[in-house]
Amino acid sequence: MSAPVILSAQGLRRDFVTRKPLFGANTIVRAVDGVDLQILQGETVAIVGESGCGKSTLARLLVRLIDPSEGSVWYGGRDIAQLDPRALRDLRRDLQFIFQDPFSSLNPRMTVGALIEEPLITHGIGDKAQRRARTNELLARVGLLPSHANRYPHEFSGGQRQRIGIARALATGPKLIVADEPVSALDVSIQAQVVNILEDLKEAFGLTLVIIAHDLAVIRHMADRVAVMYLGEVVEIARTEDLFTAPRHPYSETLLAAIPIASVRPRRARARFEGDLPNPTAPPPGCRFHTRCPYAQPRCQTHRPTLQDLGDRQVACHFADTLDLKGLNGGAVMRSPATTARFALYRAARAQEDGKTVAGKTDSSTEESLT
Amino acid sequence: MNTPLLEVRDLSIRVAGVGPALVDRISFTLNPGKTLCIVGESGCGKSLTSLALMGLLQTPPLSVASGTAVFGGQDLLAMTQGALGRVRGDRMAMIFQEPMSSLNPSLKIGEQIAESVRRHKRVGREAARARALEMLERVRIPAAARRLDAYPHELSGGMRQRAMIAMALANDPELLIADEPTTALDVTIQAQILNLMRDLQAETGAAMILITHDLGVVAEMADEVAVMYAGRIVEIGPVARIFDDPQHPYTIGLMASMPSLGARADRLVTIPGVVPQAAEMPPGCRFASRCPFASAVCNTVPMLAELGSDHAVACFHAPLEQPSRPRAVAL
Repeated sequence: MSAPVILSAQGLRRDFVTRKPLFGANTIVRAVDGVDLQILQGETVAIVGESGCGKSTLARLLVRLIDPSEGSVWYGGRDIAQLDPRALRDLRRDLQFIFQDPFSSLNPRMTVGALIEEPLITHGIGDKAQRRARTNELLARVGLLPSHANRYPHEFSGGQRQRIGIARALATGPKLIVADEPVSALDVSIQAQVVNILEDLKEAFGLTLVIIAHDLAVIRHMADRVAVMYLGEVVEIARTEDLFTAPRHPYSETLLAAIPIASVRPRRARARFEGDLPNPTAPPPGCRFHTRCPYAQPRCQTHRPTLQDLGDRQVACHFADTLDLKGLNGGAVMRSPATTARFALYRAARAQEDGKTVAGKTDSSTEESLT
Repeated sequence: MNTPLLEVRDLSIRVAGVGPALVDRISFTLNPGKTLCIVGESGCGKSLTSLALMGLLQTPPLSVASGTAVFGGQDLLAMTQGALGRVRGDRMAMIFQEPMSSLNPSLKIGEQIAESVRRHKRVGREAARARALEMLERVRIPAAARRLDAYPHELSGGMRQRAMIAMALANDPELLIADEPTTALDVTIQAQILNLMRDLQAETGAAMILITHDLGVVAEMADEVAVMYAGRIVEIGPVARIFDDPQHPYTIGLMASMPSLGARADRLVTIPGVVPQAAEMPPGCRFASRCPFASAVCNTVPMLAELGSDHAVACFHAPLEQPSRPRAVAL
């Protein structure tokens, strides 16, 4: 671990009241329950889990889009959970957020140019001409044209809107971007375009990325480290490679085994999965995963495990040392020689095409024509 | 050779005669007990195809412009609504993506299943309710007897989808059409539902058309695969051929642009651009505007050409290793 810590969450907790009856006690969901997480400068960290696990809440807490019920988030030597509104606004220059739904996160009554320029105005960056130039540069960076600045969000496809959201997040020159399911609303072919853009921009601007996702293939491709969440808790944090090939928490194993793999050779022995996600308002006692865990012991029903350092990773399981869990091995994704050859042909043809259309420009090759 | 359960020929769907066809002369056959996956991205026409087969197209503005769909000797596309109503829910049934919006929110689960039984079979209330209970147990809903009297909102997403499947299978259909049945579900719940569908299919011998955008689901479920792009089938064949010998540049591009679950690769390969809008649809091959192999010949419409072992592709440049020897025939 050579890179310095850029953001550090300590004991983060966030409760939501889901039901307020006229009499009696409120129903409370502990969406995030005691999460410690350190993000290193320049890395991509993925937070993965199923619906209701608290991953989106954690993402919002990290940049204080919502306030924690307890705990702290340290950035630049300050606890951002304690900052006053003015200081918080300044902080937004450094910490930005990309939303999942490119259809509802852009103001439909603002032009694309105005949307991208807005954060520059808010933070008093540049004069009018400089802001205009910066807007055009950002549009080019995400593979859009300067002329697109005069259009409205509804004129763009989902993939293009996500590019606009990315350009807007980049406007102030942030150090860290948290992206909540940035590609999950997009079709596969468009998803690949946006993933590439995010990776190029990370490289170009030296960004640190926190990606919230449920698609494990996207995470495998983008992330350096992965934090797996279950019902408000982080159950395993590991380097991506380690997690995918040799998970140490039973829930990580379950998640990996559940992915349908786009290969018919060999068809895997099908894993059996039992049990529904427990109701987050009444999580099980002890280890929260014990109701669905194939390895659960009596102790798991009563004693709640905490994250333990296992050297190469952290795991919250009483039996992490003794369990022999299966990850995905290389064979699971093997391709036939014919498929490999066709992929190579396709890749070569695409590369040639890119070379012809734009020599040396950042990714305008994947530009979508505006319709 | 089996007689096919369903034989679709030249099915086209249009918006009241304007613009290019949304589904353009697609043909496929489905044998009893088999699973055909129709795979493609938003707007490729895969859902319209299934709605047309079920007689659920919104007409107007949509209409079936050509084609036949022969199911057990009868053309589904030529049937009256009355006749279709007797087949639908009985010999063929459909599972939708969003169980919450396709179940009646004000009827108890058991009543909804019993209703579909009583609509097609001459059975009493008690028998229908018993059948509903049996079906809920078959889709492995825990405490099924109690869930009979639950409303849809009281169930989780996965349980709702199970209830939906129970309802679809209540009359032992020969054909099940499932439109993105697991897309709204979490990955572990998706795995449960796919396992369940496979088990039930083995038990009942029903054939299935499974519509999905997820190549992983295709690999796990399909016997046959039809890849659709912009309203046309561009490649069709047995699942092993599609994954081990993909021929159409769109199929290849789609597979190659998926991030791999194996060791970390380079940049993702992309398919440039987006699916063209109706007004800008290329005159020939509809993928030509995004295809890195496109040439002048692609301005005519390529027909599906057989490559052997029931594997057919609609591309002038297939196989790509031999670009000089076009195989597909122009229409």
